[in-house]
Amino acid sequence: MAKTYDYLFKLLLIGDSGVGKTCVLFRFSEDAFNTTFISTIGIDFKIRTIELDGKKIKLQIWDTAGQERFRTITTAYYRGAMGIMLVYDITNEKSFENIKNWIRNIEENASADVEKMLLGNKCELEEKRQVSKERGEQLAVEYGIKFFETSAKASIRVEEAFFTLAKDIKTKMDKKLVSFLFY
Amino acid sequence: MDQNEEKVEEIFVQEGVLLLKGPTSHMEYMKLTGTLYITRYEKHENEYSKIFIEWKPNENLTIDSDIQDQEWAVVNTVEKRTRTLSGSLIPEEANRSKYLRVNFDTIKSFKVADNGRRILFNDGSGDTICTFSFQNGNSTCFIASLRQHIKTAPSRRDKNLYIVMGELGNNEKQIETSFKTLSLFPDDHGYMWNLVRNFPHRPYETTMEAFSKVANIGNYFWNFYFLEYLIVYNERPLDDETKEVLNKSIIAIESATTTHTQDDYEVIANVPKLPDRKDCPRSKPLTKEQWLDLQNCEGKIEDVDGMKLLIFRGTQWMTMTKTQEDNFSDYRERKSLIEKDVNRTDRAYDFYAGDNNPHLQLLNDILMTYVMYNFDLGYVQGMSDLLSPILYLLQDEVDAFWCFVGFMEKVLSNFDIDQAGMKEQLQHLHTLLAFTEPELSTYLDNHDSGNMFFCFRWLLVWFKRELSQEDVMKLWEVLWTGLPCQNFHLLICLAILETEKRALMDNNYGFTEILKHINELSLKLNVSFLLNKAEGIYRQIEEATHANDSVRDIVGLPKLENGNMDSPNTASFTYLESSADHASVNIDTNEVCYERGISNSYL
Repeated sequence: MAKTYDYLFKLLLIGDSGVGKTCVLFRFSEDAFNTTFISTIGIDFKIRTIELDGKKIKLQIWDTAGQERFRTITTAYYRGAMGIMLVYDITNEKSFENIKNWIRNIEENASADVEKMLLGNKCELEEKRQVSKERGEQLAVEYGIKFFETSAKASIRVEEAFFTLAKDIKTKMDKKLVSFLFY
Repeated sequence: MDQNEEKVEEIFVQEGVLLLKGPTSHMEYMKLTGTLYITRYEKHENEYSKIFIEWKPNENLTIDSDIQDQEWAVVNTVEKRTRTLSGSLIPEEANRSKYLRVNFDTIKSFKVADNGRRILFNDGSGDTICTFSFQNGNSTCFIASLRQHIKTAPSRRDKNLYIVMGELGNNEKQIETSFKTLSLFPDDHGYMWNLVRNFPHRPYETTMEAFSKVANIGNYFWNFYFLEYLIVYNERPLDDETKEVLNKSIIAIESATTTHTQDDYEVIANVPKLPDRKDCPRSKPLTKEQWLDLQNCEGKIEDVDGMKLLIFRGTQWMTMTKTQEDNFSDYRERKSLIEKDVNRTDRAYDFYAGDNNPHLQLLNDILMTYVMYNFDLGYVQGMSDLLSPILYLLQDEVDAFWCFVGFMEKVLSNFDIDQAGMKEQLQHLHTLLAFTEPELSTYLDNHDSGNMFFCFRWLLVWFKRELSQEDVMKLWEVLWTGLPCQNFHLLICLAILETEKRALMDNNYGFTEILKHINELSLKLNVSFLLNKAEGIYRQIEEATHANDSVRDIVGLPKLENGNMDSPNTASFTYLESSADHASVNIDTNEVCYERGISNSYL
């Protein structure tokens, strides 16, 4: 079977329960938003192929159950992930505070050079905001990663976030390839 | 009509209740102590609801009896009674006017105040019809009893306010009183004993088939009723006679699952042989009449329900203050997680659809109660999925709670903090698959899927996400019987995997495709077909002479006595080529087994 893509990137969505991981994924893969939410049990993934610099990139995006209890299962899927979206909910302080735990979790279970990104989701709910955009930006700077405030519901910057993550992974890969070929 | 035969049933009687506020017609009785009743009038015209609350002042009070209201009658016993209403009144009925009687057509909500000591009935327009103060104890038992007959939902805004949804219909009533069977049992010995005695005689091949074809509520109900009974029987005090009968019935059921006479293996000793199955057709589903008959005994129920509700309503979470909550982060987090999950549980079904759906509040309340009931476990995602069909079926908060408690006991290990229970089940599933479908098992091992993670969702919530609401209920009631064997849900998994074997292998699916394929089976599975197949698989395991002890142990079959050394208690994957070849591969720790197949997943 002929390959229909040039690259296959495995991405992972992690974050507290109910921050909107599945909705972000659904927005990106189907460009839709389902008001009948359903919690994720176990693990699932969706595929979307995008084009970057004339190359077809197949994104295999894994969606995990957020509750800590299931981490022994979900962390098994960290392995091989090239990019990780850390998602919190801007209307939920706790989900933001927990990002540091999720980072630690990544450090323990994913490869060291995995590309990370911070997403503050539900940014359409300005009136319920508990975490300012500045705090999100500051945390991202601390970890040296990129940051977006997104809204899966209002379709704000979800596309941009995934494209940026994919581009960064591609750049990193190309660099590695170059160094492999020339040194 | 001169003679108006009217049956009145006193559902509940509470002494020592003060009328604090009432209609102007009863001004003179205010602040007097009397008796509060819940009554049911079998034949009552012009009113939709048959349920009333009635209050009368104590008899020793002298009351002016000039006013004669034809519709009232003296209530002086707790027994069901038939009485005659006519123009010629017997003397004591002259006092009927003392009665304050309100029909549930009029009452739109009621509110509990002053730690349950006061109850206010509202007409829905903001006016209070009447207010009672409980001098002895509180209104807990009264409300428990009331809610067996009147459908209520706690208000979203005020936890102490109950919206009256109407009288429970017949079907609902049948269901909502299911827990009564427990307390009815000692009183209705003959009937229950018949059920119990007949149970082992019913051929379970046909039982399973019939279960899977179950379409009418009566049959559902029969099963539910019996199961709850089995699930919770040891939860509450039973008298010795009941215990005796129960023990007998359990032994009988056990023997039904273990005494298949097969020439090629030895039936375990000291279990009595079953009579020829052909002669014992399956019992008919419980009829409505039978069910209604069961409901007539009362004294016992009052106690049980009262006790249940005391535990239930008395739980800490209902009375948690804002400050307490602020200082109790574990509690707060659980509460918030439950809220999140309740809002995304089965919202596509009518029963849970829409904003401010009272059923969501019930779902929330039951889960909160469970958190306090089992605080060490707390709330774990998946629990709302397990509760949802139960609440849908039972429609009553208290019954659904206890049924949920019973169910949780069965699946508690699924929610272990270290997920040990899930890991063990996935491992057992692999062991069984290696025995029944060695080709597929090897294929999965070679495609990084030997850990069986892709079956996680199936096992965690017992196929709740894979089946329609109706099918889930069909499946669960079968699984709750514990027939034909323990861990029958693993055999359901085997049945699905066997069905999908060709799709998985012929397409040469890898780790990700296998997961995707399995996840996408959701709502495409046929329960009857799978039950049929799963039972067939069990028969094969049962009869297979080469089934080693770890396989037999998983499904609860006794060990063979042929010196098989494989201990069922060690975590071992066992591969059998044939009955003659008992070569097995034992791996020492769970973790090693578990990690099997992951290592190359992403290379």
